[in-house]
Amino acid sequence: MTGTELGWWGVALAVAGGAIRVSTPYLFVSLGETLTEKSGRVNLGLEGTLLMGAMSGYGASYLTGSPWLGVLAAAASGALLGLLHAAVSNLPRVNDIAVGIALFIFGTGLAFFLGKPFVQPQAPRLPTLALGGFSDVPAIRAALEVSPLFFIGIALAFVMHWALPNTRWGLIVRAVGDNAEAARTAGYPVNLTRTLATALGGVFAGVAGAFLSLSYPGTWAEGLSSGQGLMAVALVIFARWNPVHCVWVSLLFGGASALGPALQTVGVTGYYYLTGAAPYVLTLALLIASSSRRHRLAGAPGELSINR
Amino acid sequence: MTPRPPPLIEAIALSKRFGAVQALDGVSVRFEPGSFHALLGENGAGKSTLVKCLMGFHAADSGTVRIDGKVHAIADPKAAHALGLGMVYQHFTLVPSMTVAENLVLARPDLPQVIDWRAERKGIDAFLARMPFALDPEAPAVALAAGEKQKLEILKQLYLGARVLILDEPTSVLTPQEADEVLGHARKLADAGALTVVLITHKFREVRAYAREVSVLRGGRNAGGGSVAALDSEALVRMTFGERPMPAAAQRGGEGIGERCLELRGLNALNDRGAAAVRDLTLHVARGEIVGVAGVSGNGQRELVETLAGQREPESGEIAVAGLPYGRTRAEMRARGVFLLAEEPLASSCVRSMSVAENLALRDFDHAPFARAGGRVDFRAIEERARSLIEAFGIRCAGPHARIDTLSGGNVQRAVLARELSGSVQLLVAQNPCLGLDFAATREIRGRILEARNRGAAVLLVSEDLDELLELADRILVMLEGRIVFETDRAGAAAEAIGRHMTEGSRR
Amino acid sequence: MRARAETALITAGALALAFALFGLFLLANRLNPLEVYAVLWLGGFGTSFSLQATLTQAAPLMLTALCVAIPARAGLLVIGGEGALVAGGVCAVLAGVAAAGLPAAVGTALVCAAGAAAGGAWIAMAGALKHRRGVNETISTLLLNYIAIALLNHLVSGPIRDHTVSLKVTSWSIPQPYMVDAIPGVGVHWGLALGVLACLAAYVLLRYSVPGFAIAVLGGNARAAQLVGLPIGRLTLLACALGGAAAGLAGAVEIVAVHGAASSSLVVGFGYAGILVAFLARQNPLAIVFFAFLVGGISASGGLMQRRFDMPDAATQVLQGMIFLCVLGSNALYGRVRMFRVARAGA
Repeated sequence: MTGTELGWWGVALAVAGGAIRVSTPYLFVSLGETLTEKSGRVNLGLEGTLLMGAMSGYGASYLTGSPWLGVLAAAASGALLGLLHAAVSNLPRVNDIAVGIALFIFGTGLAFFLGKPFVQPQAPRLPTLALGGFSDVPAIRAALEVSPLFFIGIALAFVMHWALPNTRWGLIVRAVGDNAEAARTAGYPVNLTRTLATALGGVFAGVAGAFLSLSYPGTWAEGLSSGQGLMAVALVIFARWNPVHCVWVSLLFGGASALGPALQTVGVTGYYYLTGAAPYVLTLALLIASSSRRHRLAGAPGELSINR
Repeated sequence: MTPRPPPLIEAIALSKRFGAVQALDGVSVRFEPGSFHALLGENGAGKSTLVKCLMGFHAADSGTVRIDGKVHAIADPKAAHALGLGMVYQHFTLVPSMTVAENLVLARPDLPQVIDWRAERKGIDAFLARMPFALDPEAPAVALAAGEKQKLEILKQLYLGARVLILDEPTSVLTPQEADEVLGHARKLADAGALTVVLITHKFREVRAYAREVSVLRGGRNAGGGSVAALDSEALVRMTFGERPMPAAAQRGGEGIGERCLELRGLNALNDRGAAAVRDLTLHVARGEIVGVAGVSGNGQRELVETLAGQREPESGEIAVAGLPYGRTRAEMRARGVFLLAEEPLASSCVRSMSVAENLALRDFDHAPFARAGGRVDFRAIEERARSLIEAFGIRCAGPHARIDTLSGGNVQRAVLARELSGSVQLLVAQNPCLGLDFAATREIRGRILEARNRGAAVLLVSEDLDELLELADRILVMLEGRIVFETDRAGAAAEAIGRHMTEGSRR
Repeated sequence: MRARAETALITAGALALAFALFGLFLLANRLNPLEVYAVLWLGGFGTSFSLQATLTQAAPLMLTALCVAIPARAGLLVIGGEGALVAGGVCAVLAGVAAAGLPAAVGTALVCAAGAAAGGAWIAMAGALKHRRGVNETISTLLLNYIAIALLNHLVSGPIRDHTVSLKVTSWSIPQPYMVDAIPGVGVHWGLALGVLACLAAYVLLRYSVPGFAIAVLGGNARAAQLVGLPIGRLTLLACALGGAAAGLAGAVEIVAVHGAASSSLVVGFGYAGILVAFLARQNPLAIVFFAFLVGGISASGGLMQRRFDMPDAATQVLQGMIFLCVLGSNALYGRVRMFRVARAGA
């Protein structure tokens, strides 16, 4: 049985499968940006970081034969770009939003420059867990081919959710992001904390990129990313800076992204691009509904430049 | 753990210079263990500088600090904390999104990597049980009222084991009840011998009500002190202000009181947190009179002035100027001659990156002769006018092209004054116009406000300085918790009665 | 005067640092920086052909940079140039097709006006959301970029698709007479002139006009603007509409001067590069002309560099990113360079 024979069940399956698959990079970038923004910084440059992660992950996997080493390499390159963002943003009077855009341009360029030799060859991909093995339906099997990174991401979400109120570092990050003056008075290093949080955010974005190049779609080429990095900021707002909410939001966005192609399999063409725009419209609608002239967005860290 | 008794703190001949200003000049103060010691003085007398030296924020240029007889060089706030000194600042150092418990724990210098909340909560609950005032540990800091926030700041210091608690003008953001509660509790702790309290204040009332000892500073030097019980008000006044001649009150003249110019009826406004700040406020100001609004800061004065300035939307009520509803549009301001001297002029009324000349033109750059045909701004005309205003008002600056933020505080206020008072003023709203200014500037500005009144303007003067109101106002109203609770004429005005109404009210 | 010298010196220093760092980057990739820079110069500015390519790149950059610089004057950080350009391009096509048969000059003007209006409305939406609901304009314009691109793709592949063109997914074309030629003797289309004029007009408007001054007051201190009764909402909308109109005009120019029809070729990153140009120019419309030229030159030289050194033209992005980062970081130096310090006046 193929997808078209399944009809609308096929659409639902495809959306579910897409939600799981496509949500993974969204999950990682949103977790990374949540951490960065909790410390009071906005990193709009995650798109460049993601692409660098994709490239270095792919390259490392190709050169060493191990896709997991690729993930490690992606994490490392993400950390470096995160450090770069922090280094420039820590300077006085520097606008972190502009730095993010600069990093977006820089990271994207760097990724495609260094990644040129990797466009043709096929690197070893990350393995997937065949959770749909219980079924005979290929569509179900396909939908439930899940990368272990998905589960790692969910685990990380819960770890972050626990760590923010229950560890010393989590408390410091929240203090620095909500009232830097208070943190400084208590003797905590504001710039260092933000640097670490941004670097860690970069690590997450790098891993998100590695997923794209080593898992799904599993290649290194132009158009690999559909803006997941830039969307991170929107995702985080949608998730109200809560790591566990990031899981649901990522699934939602992943599902919405998969809706277009899924509809095409049942012959509903013509709305492909509009459904692709659904996540952006949703986020904008949410922003409009929850913003008010008087108050800050509920849950937003006080030091974020986008909230002043 | 039985708390140790507080140490004896001695500041000996401390001096500190900041650039051209000698902030402290050989000041010596002795803080007895377990005492409630007030540091009294005007703005700029050196009180904050003294305690900042004790807390390690500044290194004194000369002099020593002795704790329990031993000399200590306090290098930074951490060292001060280690010695048992704790300070509560004027601004809040709380993390809004964290709970009371998290804020307390955050301050601990020995916090473990993974926090065992059960153990921490036990410790916090035990600590709170020992304290005279309590807070809900789970409450988020952002939801606390100002008084509760102040209590949390104090609790934080005590939680850290401070034995000397320095309070820097703690009641400036509190309602009178909250102030009494906080200071009352602090006094109890001092009396129990657990704590030395150092209270920085410029309010005589607080000194009288709570302190046992007082040290007065004036111009960076010791100006007297001793046991509060032994000093009468006159002595305190003399020590604080010195033997200055009272300012020659500008001549009261003019045509007398005319028709009503500003009318507020049932005005309601919220503060930034969404709580009611101005409640059903009704008042009027007539031409040729100065109506003073007295009150402790934090009773809605800021929100009232912001509403009149168009910086805040009222919830309900009517505002009328010259008999017509006033929508705070530019055209109305211009047509009806409404001008405003807001608090913190640089932050509220000026554009820092613009020049003095441009700032002076903010009200009329879009009208002839500063706007020419075709919508062009005539910068030369603006500069010319700026020159004459600079001279007329004695604004000290490098010229009309100088950026306004290169001017000193007093000159910024002079510039704003020049802008607001050089038109034909029908209604002037002023808020703490002389805050932080030196004696000469203060006298000058008060004189100009009176002049405006004499020329027939209606003036609403909102001020925390009762002396200012007694000098200038024809009528004095008292604002408490967003309402007008008292009114008196100039003739019958008595400082004690007014002061009483400023602090009474909900006490009934 | 002192301020301008400070700006020029610090910007030049930042640029020099960026080029030095890029040189190190090239060395690390076994390329000779001097050779590369020579080719960069050649490919961007060295021949009349490369100058033409540069100016062709610079034209839309000037306009999309204004989409950042004009709202910046009002204190807003708008990054929606890409979306406004796309909106402008689509509406330009629709207007051209709907109003065929007009005299050529009128038709062209109409198409351009439609593009500008669409772009202006697009960004004005974000301005309205900011004023009425406090929605952060950086995020809203970012989202609007994506929405505009999605709308473009949807329309071009569906309702307004030109099915007679089989090799490419493109929209209906505007009437041929409405298309615009090159400026005689320069070899670059008239969009360049529009770009320069727009920057001049923006400079004059912001610096010398009454609404421009009002916008500057708003951007300088919104509270002070309220205190003197300036209409904050209207000024916000005006600044956004003007900036959006510039980017929308860039979209229209891409239609009348380059493509003739809307397609995904409208989405090439002019909007984001415009952000770079605006920040390099420190939001000054006159400086935008210069920096659009510089950034355009770097982009234009990409092809030549690719051919000469077998280097991906992503190298130009790396250079642009480095320049952007260095210039942003140099912001920290303002007010710190001793010889430009102003002493505090009197007491």
